[in-house]
Amino acid sequence: MKVTLISIPVRDQEKALKFYTEKLGFLKKKDVPLEGGNRWITLVSKEAQDGPELLLEPAPLHFEPSKVYQEALMEAGIPYTQFDVSNLDAEYERLTKNGVEFSMKPTVMGTVKVAVFNDTCGNNMQLVEEL
Amino acid sequence: MTYYEKELHRIRAIVYANEAQINTVIGVRNYIATNYELDVNLDMLSHIQFVSKFHLIRLFKKYYGLTPRQYLIDKRIERSKDHLAAGMTVTGTCFAVGFESIGSFSSLFKRKTGLSPAKFRKEQLSRSKSA
Repeated sequence: MKVTLISIPVRDQEKALKFYTEKLGFLKKKDVPLEGGNRWITLVSKEAQDGPELLLEPAPLHFEPSKVYQEALMEAGIPYTQFDVSNLDAEYERLTKNGVEFSMKPTVMGTVKVAVFNDTCGNNMQLVEEL
Repeated sequence: MTYYEKELHRIRAIVYANEAQINTVIGVRNYIATNYELDVNLDMLSHIQFVSKFHLIRLFKKYYGLTPRQYLIDKRIERSKDHLAAGMTVTGTCFAVGFESIGSFSSLFKRKTGLSPAKFRKEQLSRSKSA
């Protein structure tokens, strides 16, 4: 078995695609049309294009418990998942300049430094730098 | 402050209270991360950090979840992928990232990535040509 896919629930796939590629810098890998206007959209990071793919899944639109769970995480400021960066302060500055909103500024937690931003599609996401 | 951030602060006060230990392991990790291609020697590292070798291994594992040796190997394999993708030979890569024998490099590489270094290199090079 292999880990190849990480699903992220999003409210609007097109908006998510724009945010994750234009603001965060991920690359689109697959975009397959499905029924009812839904799409199978996956992204990879520029540095690891063979690595695991992020799936932008419209789950909250079609499955109520997904929406409820997503809203509760958002409300509590809990990140849905996290991405690794090599320089968190630089990344924080770049994204803030790009209009990305952070609910938690870069904060040292022992051997890592973390920050949390809003992905504008219903999720908090965490950035982490290993110290 | 979000619920998440409050929880992080609470947990940090419990888990990451020992600043001296944290500074020690961060120092060791940074040393390995920048000197992975050299003969990284734990006796020397523990001497620099004024702790015993076994205590150092235990501390590192406690905070990073793996031993310094495992961390070093992961670092070398990660870096070797960059070299191979850039066209460096398998032998050249092996020594450039600090391994001393082609046999152990190849078998470790295969175990960690699923491909032999030669095959990985070939795939990466044919991909960059077709792109």
